[in-house]
Amino acid sequence: MAALELAGIRKTYGRTVALDEATFDVRDGEFFCLLGPSGAGKTTTLKVAAGLAEPSVGVVRLDGVDVTDVEPTRRDLAMCFESYALYPQHNVFDNLAFPLRSPRRRMPAERTRQRILDITTLLGIDHLLDRPVTQLSNGQRQRVALGRVLVRPASAYLLDEPLSHLDARLRASMRAELKAISGEDGTTTLYVTHDYVEALSLADRIGVLDAGRIRQIGTPREVWSEPADTVVARSFGKPAINLVDGAIAAAGGVLTFVSTDGALRLPVPGLRTSPGVRAQLGIRPRDLGLLRGAGDLPSSLVCFDAAIYVLEHLGRQTEVTVRVGAALLSLVVPREVADGHVLDDKVVVTFDPAAAHVFLPDDGGRRVVR
Amino acid sequence: MGTPRWRRRLRPYLLAMPAVLLCVGILYPFFVGVGYTVFNFSDANRTPSFVGVRNFVDILSSDTFWHSAQVTVSFAVVATVVETVVGVGIALLLHRSSLVARILERFLIVPLMVAPIIAAIMWKLILLPEVGWVRPILSAAGVEGYRGTDSALAAFFWSVVVDAWLYTPFVAILALVGLRSLPRSPFEAAAVDGANWWLTFRRLILPMLWPYILVAVIFRFMDCLKVFDIIYGLTAGGPGDATTTLQISAYLEAITYARYSRGMTFMLILWVVVYASSFVLVRYLGRVQSRAAGSV
Amino acid sequence: MSGKAGLRGRGVLADLVLVVYFLLSLAPVVFIVALSLKSNAEQTSTYLRFTPTLDNYRAVLGIGAGESAYLRFFLASLICAVGAVLVSLVIGVPAAYAAARFRFRGSEGLLFTLLSFRFAPELVVIIPLGVLYQQLGLYDTYVGMIWALQLVTMPLVVWILRSFFQDLPPDLEQAALLDGYSRRQAFVKTVLPLVRPGVAAVCLLAFIFAWNNFILPFTLTSSEAQTVTVSSLAFLGGNQVRFNLVAAGAVMAVLPPLVLALFIQRYLVRGLSFGAVKS
Repeated sequence: MAALELAGIRKTYGRTVALDEATFDVRDGEFFCLLGPSGAGKTTTLKVAAGLAEPSVGVVRLDGVDVTDVEPTRRDLAMCFESYALYPQHNVFDNLAFPLRSPRRRMPAERTRQRILDITTLLGIDHLLDRPVTQLSNGQRQRVALGRVLVRPASAYLLDEPLSHLDARLRASMRAELKAISGEDGTTTLYVTHDYVEALSLADRIGVLDAGRIRQIGTPREVWSEPADTVVARSFGKPAINLVDGAIAAAGGVLTFVSTDGALRLPVPGLRTSPGVRAQLGIRPRDLGLLRGAGDLPSSLVCFDAAIYVLEHLGRQTEVTVRVGAALLSLVVPREVADGHVLDDKVVVTFDPAAAHVFLPDDGGRRVVR
Repeated sequence: MGTPRWRRRLRPYLLAMPAVLLCVGILYPFFVGVGYTVFNFSDANRTPSFVGVRNFVDILSSDTFWHSAQVTVSFAVVATVVETVVGVGIALLLHRSSLVARILERFLIVPLMVAPIIAAIMWKLILLPEVGWVRPILSAAGVEGYRGTDSALAAFFWSVVVDAWLYTPFVAILALVGLRSLPRSPFEAAAVDGANWWLTFRRLILPMLWPYILVAVIFRFMDCLKVFDIIYGLTAGGPGDATTTLQISAYLEAITYARYSRGMTFMLILWVVVYASSFVLVRYLGRVQSRAAGSV
Repeated sequence: MSGKAGLRGRGVLADLVLVVYFLLSLAPVVFIVALSLKSNAEQTSTYLRFTPTLDNYRAVLGIGAGESAYLRFFLASLICAVGAVLVSLVIGVPAAYAAARFRFRGSEGLLFTLLSFRFAPELVVIIPLGVLYQQLGLYDTYVGMIWALQLVTMPLVVWILRSFFQDLPPDLEQAALLDGYSRRQAFVKTVLPLVRPGVAAVCLLAFIFAWNNFILPFTLTSSEAQTVTVSSLAFLGGNQVRFNLVAAGAVMAVLPPLVLALFIQRYLVRGLSFGAVKS
């Protein structure tokens, strides 16, 4: 177990910049998720950490020791490749035994066997040990690849989308399994994924990567409720956060967000910005509600008029898109709230202004702090 | 425990080093040979003196050179065209995968594995009036007065035949791979549209097949420019100098008469021609391939 | 004729054309085999009907007649071709691997130089090489021949193996590195087993090309290291021409490549096109 640190990593392939000044550290025993869309530079980050790719600029440290020039073989890291990288000439058992039989480890045969049995039972692939890996489904291959990492002790685990090819149910159970393993062993883990649910549920901390740049590093709570900018805000949640274009005005001495067509107005007292700047209002779909009948409205909530634009019933919940002036907002409400509504119904949308974020599009989409 | 960056940088060079040395070992005689061209080095003259560009002037103003250049280029063009047309045709016929096609395809590569010089010997025997099959077949067809490769035209003709016999399968194999890699849907669409065969071939098959055909053409044309074995074995450049190609001329100069400087000058000129044509053709191939890749 | 009948008619015609082509294509082989089985008396008097005899092969192989020159040439071909392939393999595998996996200055130059060897007219190297060999005492030696044959085998080995290595994802070796193996072990344990069939095919193809080569032994050997291809032609030029003997020699010279080719059908296209076309 060790702390892993990447400092000022820049990696270019010819003219394309894969990583730009990426700096973060994974603390000893921490589970760190790197979240980003494909092409963001996630795999490159892992390969730099592993020593498989040489950074153009920057330093990789393990427990504070500069290992930038250390061969991958000697870094004592274990990596799960997105392509699985299983040895096609071997069966499942031999694939898993491969790292244990290496000249660096030379684990005795009996312990090797026991270790492999433990891990494969945990991953639910113990019945496949004699199967050639070429005869496995993608989901099975992925679990073998993950098993090849977990089977051995290492300073840190580097996992590249290790659950991406599992079906939804298996993914959920493997996620729980992985969380249990990491909690138990406390192995330093750098985990790369494009799935925000995985990141939120597994990580101690999350780094959001976009176009080779790290946009924010924080705990799941931080990146969710205090996104650094619109890119981070949009990386979490489905449907994605609503962003309404507008500007900041000073209405009666109170700073107010006004959407471009004036249909949506929201006082945002205490905002650290000045009137007149362009702004985007960010509201998560689950922070919005539909007002039904004439109940008492809690005083903390704000409401405004809208019209139903799209209704999508998804089991117990309904995804509703409403039109407020020219802007479209998504919201998710319990089924019974949406029932009875038809298209173009006039409705009242409510929400808690405390849950709203204001971003500055002229400043790279930075969130304004209140 | 770190490995210095320079040592990691050196790694590919170390792996490639033996191959580089080998290249040097082959390039060294080549450059020595280039040096010959400005001397009058021969077996008779072991202490050569510098003659400048005289070898080039001599050779470029000699009938021998222009004659063998003409023979070489005619041979390369005719043989390449024949092999390409027949090879692509055979590939199209084999591509139908009828029972007959599937059986015969197994035999396609047989000539290709025969050493060119052995092919020349085989055909020389076939063409011999005493033991060969050509004379009886021709006389059965009513053609009399067959005299093997006695005339310039016959020698040229049979040289092309031998080359085509050997290498048409090469073109056919490449074209067949190309045909089998073509997507099915455009052809089904064309069939639904009721396009006739020729139109389908011209507008659909040929453009998509072109990169494959071009690879075959490049290999065949380059190899034909330096043809030696087949013609030397079949006619030894004769009758007279009727089928003396550039490489045979150079052979006669450099090996038979041991006039190294003159032979090398011949070869250098041929080498420049081969190099220039390969450069042009490979660049054209690159453009065709990127266009084909872009269109899919 | 219309519809299905028309199509079937065209199919039969196409098959007919194919049959004619293959008859023409295989006839010379049939001819040479037939000639090699004819007795002296029948070689000039018959075409296909004759009493086959193995006398010519016996004579060529020197069975019952003591030493056979032909066997010596055959052996020389074998030594030269095998030697050339081995040298190319030892030198070419690392180079091909480097060219496939690393981006380094000069890799393009190396590949292009090797490719230019493939397309260069042989005499452009042979003429000075012959002079050099006479000075170095390498003329008419196996070492000299194996060296010169690199012109044929080396470009083939490097280019095709590079294309095989490129087809393998680098993730495999990288995984092995992280699993605790050195670069050399990673190569031996993960890459080599996967390219082994390809390497075998390249070796056979390179062997065939080396075996079939004529101009190099023709100009760089005289007796000791003379190969089958050269002696076959010399045989034909002899005074007392026995065509059936020539034919038997030719058949035996063709046999090794033809038999080997059966094993590498799958890789033939890639091999013949230097990796430019993959099947």
